[in-house]
Amino acid sequence: MSSATITGAPGKKTLRLYSREAVLFGCIVLLVLFVLITAAISRMYHKKIHGLADDWFSEGETSFQAGDVQSALIDYRNALVYSPGNAKFQFHLAQALAAVGRGDEGRSYLLNLLSESPGSGEVNLALARIAARKGMTSEAIRYYHAAIYGEWENGPIAMRWQVRRELSEYLLDRGEARQAVPEIIALADNTPADDPERRKIVGNLLLRAKLWPRALDGFRSLVSANNQDHDALLGAAISAFELGQYDLALDYFDRLPQPEREAPDVVGMYRTAQQINAMNPFVAGLSRGDKARKAADALSLAGKRLQECAGREDQSLLVTPPQTPLQKAFADSKEVEARGSLQYIEKHPETIEDVMAHVFEMENATADACGKPQDADGALWLLGRSRGVPVQ
Amino acid sequence: MTEPISVASTASAPGLSAAPSNPTAASGFRGLWASWTHRVFTMREDQFFLFLAVLIGILSGLAVVCFRIAIEWTQIELLGSSLAPSTLRVVLAPTLGGLVVAFLVIYAFPRARGSGVNQTKSAVYVSNGYIPFNTVIGKFVTCALAIGSGQSLGPEDPSLQMGAGIASLIGRRLRLSQEKVRLIAPVGAAAGLAAAFNAPISAVLFVLEEVIGTWSAGVLGAIVLAAISSVMTMRAFLGPESLFRVPPFRVAKPVDLLAYIVLGIVGGVASLIFLKWLAYARPRMQSLPRWTQHFQPAVAGLLIGIIGIKLPQVMGAGYPIIDQAMHGQFAWKLLLVLAALKILATGFSFLSGTPGGMFAPSLFIGAMLGAAVGAIEQHFFTGLPGTVGTFALVGMGTFFAGFLRVPITSVFMVIELSGNYTAILPVMISSLIAYGISRSYVKVPLFDMLARQDGLVLPSVEERREQLVLTVEDAMRLDAAMVLEPGDKVSEALKRVEAKKGNLCFVRARPGEWHHVEPAELQRLATDASEPFTVAQASSTGPLPFVFRDMSLEEALHWAGDWPALPVLSRADLSKLEGVITLDDILKAFRKVPVE
Repeated sequence: MSSATITGAPGKKTLRLYSREAVLFGCIVLLVLFVLITAAISRMYHKKIHGLADDWFSEGETSFQAGDVQSALIDYRNALVYSPGNAKFQFHLAQALAAVGRGDEGRSYLLNLLSESPGSGEVNLALARIAARKGMTSEAIRYYHAAIYGEWENGPIAMRWQVRRELSEYLLDRGEARQAVPEIIALADNTPADDPERRKIVGNLLLRAKLWPRALDGFRSLVSANNQDHDALLGAAISAFELGQYDLALDYFDRLPQPEREAPDVVGMYRTAQQINAMNPFVAGLSRGDKARKAADALSLAGKRLQECAGREDQSLLVTPPQTPLQKAFADSKEVEARGSLQYIEKHPETIEDVMAHVFEMENATADACGKPQDADGALWLLGRSRGVPVQ
Repeated sequence: MTEPISVASTASAPGLSAAPSNPTAASGFRGLWASWTHRVFTMREDQFFLFLAVLIGILSGLAVVCFRIAIEWTQIELLGSSLAPSTLRVVLAPTLGGLVVAFLVIYAFPRARGSGVNQTKSAVYVSNGYIPFNTVIGKFVTCALAIGSGQSLGPEDPSLQMGAGIASLIGRRLRLSQEKVRLIAPVGAAAGLAAAFNAPISAVLFVLEEVIGTWSAGVLGAIVLAAISSVMTMRAFLGPESLFRVPPFRVAKPVDLLAYIVLGIVGGVASLIFLKWLAYARPRMQSLPRWTQHFQPAVAGLLIGIIGIKLPQVMGAGYPIIDQAMHGQFAWKLLLVLAALKILATGFSFLSGTPGGMFAPSLFIGAMLGAAVGAIEQHFFTGLPGTVGTFALVGMGTFFAGFLRVPITSVFMVIELSGNYTAILPVMISSLIAYGISRSYVKVPLFDMLARQDGLVLPSVEERREQLVLTVEDAMRLDAAMVLEPGDKVSEALKRVEAKKGNLCFVRARPGEWHHVEPAELQRLATDASEPFTVAQASSTGPLPFVFRDMSLEEALHWAGDWPALPVLSRADLSKLEGVITLDDILKAFRKVPVE
């Protein structure tokens, strides 16, 4: 590796010429040195950058937890500047954006993440929530399903259960009960028997979806496991009430502490159940006299409401042949009038069924003509429904 | 250029030492080294050039890694790590940074001022590939400080020049042939740009489209190798992530493409405004007294800082902001404001002579305009399928095509950055519209304009691309020659020649073999009554070189002077004469073309 110098014109700088081998050797040495220096610099740089990214992300988390979502947004964005491909940062930024109602902006980041990991349960869930907030039902359902069948890093079974619960609630909130039913049934099937809290959640969803028998079964088993479980008692009472099993409902209501059974959203059902129970001649264990009295009282009450309703509707009940349901019900009641006295029923208890059938017919007719009955008439009407009298 | 660079041929030069005649004779490291260098230096020059391209690519990649780190580090130190820095930093950092940069440029690195693209071009066309290494250091230091302090410029152009400078140094030190030293600067330029952009195809295309101006096969391989090796190097240190993430998108129906026509028009008009402003203001800024150059970058920095108080997004290269726009983070009004202010801020930085590139700002402006157009269109036409990110992406290519006038690079850049071919149609449509608008109203492309303002007349790639290429078809005469067969009787041939009143006679000896015979020669033989002659017996010139109608006139000119006329043959049938061309015809055709 020799070198030489060429002397140029006098006074000019001399140019040192190295052999080509020397230059190549120099290049390779330089390359190695440069690689080492760049590696060291880049290591320091990455350490600094990752530190900054983590710091900003932590600040973002703190702000988000504190409810300062605007600050969290800035912090998450700062974190992303130093770690642009970080999926966690993008995800949190998207969630923060969605939390301040900027779902479209968040969606863009989430779609980015989804293109990288299409099976991510978390990303699909976040997208589903954004779509749900925007009222895009079919898209929301699609993403919810993708989340249910997607991958979850931590507790996949529990997360899938939660997502299905969220989907069920979303559908029920939107009045899509028919679509909610299979989800709730699947949820019920996937709920562990030894987890009463989740079973109560499922029970409440069954109530909301009007799946009364399933709800009653669920709450009943919860009550049998713990008869002090007030939520289960309440659920059982409501489902029994809705199934027309008023005596059972009343039993559950009565086992609740007074403040709970008289809560505003429950007290109506409780009072109705009490009233139905008080007016029901079919309750087991009643004496013949009590049964007869209840049937006679019911006939009299229904007859009065029929006449009031006809007066309000300006219909004469004496028209022959009867034309309207009210007139028909009145004509039928005349037929049973002779058999409707207290003494007669007491003497012929087999007529109770017949008398009560007329009572229910009259209540149905008045309900159709004058609206859903209240109080005692309401109780009779519900009793009729529970005994299978078709609602006209 | 297939001659080997033999050691023997170079050893005679002063100061050169030959490798041992029998390299294997030496032992240990020296022996291995001697054997390896012997092999390297006895490669064909083309192969050696490819080897150098890889070396240059790696070195350029390393330089760009350090450069990008230097910019980010400077930015963190001067502006802080937040996207929304404090007012004091926003105003002071670019102002003081500008002051320091101005003094460095004036007193230490005078060649760091100006466009890296043009300096590389001038290295190719003016200074035989010479780029002083001082320029590389100067670009590194001054640009890192300028961009890091918030000047609205990008790192790509300086990276390109750093790559070219490294390549030039290596080429000179290894004493490559003059031609290779000249071509090595673009190789380094491609490597630098590829590493800065993390997009090798775009870098290769840009260098071919803008710096070299031709698809030279001789250098293409080296450019591609250098670009790939630099990108690999860069990715090894900084990771494979793109400069910004592009959200997934699709173009559903052809009619959706109409939306991008609007984007093309907007991008074209915006690039036109920017170009016109630079063309108008730059000579005026240059004509200011020399002492003002000490303060111009500082004033630009101050103005940018004032804008940055409200909108710090316009400061620096702006890649994180492009990323946010891609993800629909800004309302359309803000996007328009950002685009307008970025034009202003970039103009301030550039006109003040602050070193730095225009690539990143033009991508920023394009992305903001695209996202704004997308947001507005989606606001009024809710059925449009593209996301705002799609429009931002296409907007980048559109403005890039209109402003830098590199339409092919623009299209490929968008594809490369997005990794999605779906964007090809939208970006082609809008880029071509923007390019067309820009080309119609500003005749000279940006880099050529800058070169001319600096007193350099570099070949304009765009002009070369659009130059009219004359072909044989433009000059040839149809039906001007008589075709004779060798077996024709001279007397009959002469009658035909006289009947046609032509003086060009070709003899078709066999397909692809044509001769010229003078009518006077036919006349001579016809008057000789000794025997009935055939055309084959006439003395002729040939075989003539032949041309085809699609060949350029330059090619035809190679032979036209040596022969009375050239036959124009059919490519499908070499026995079929389609016309005739003479030197006179060629010269007449050249004279007809107006000279601009």
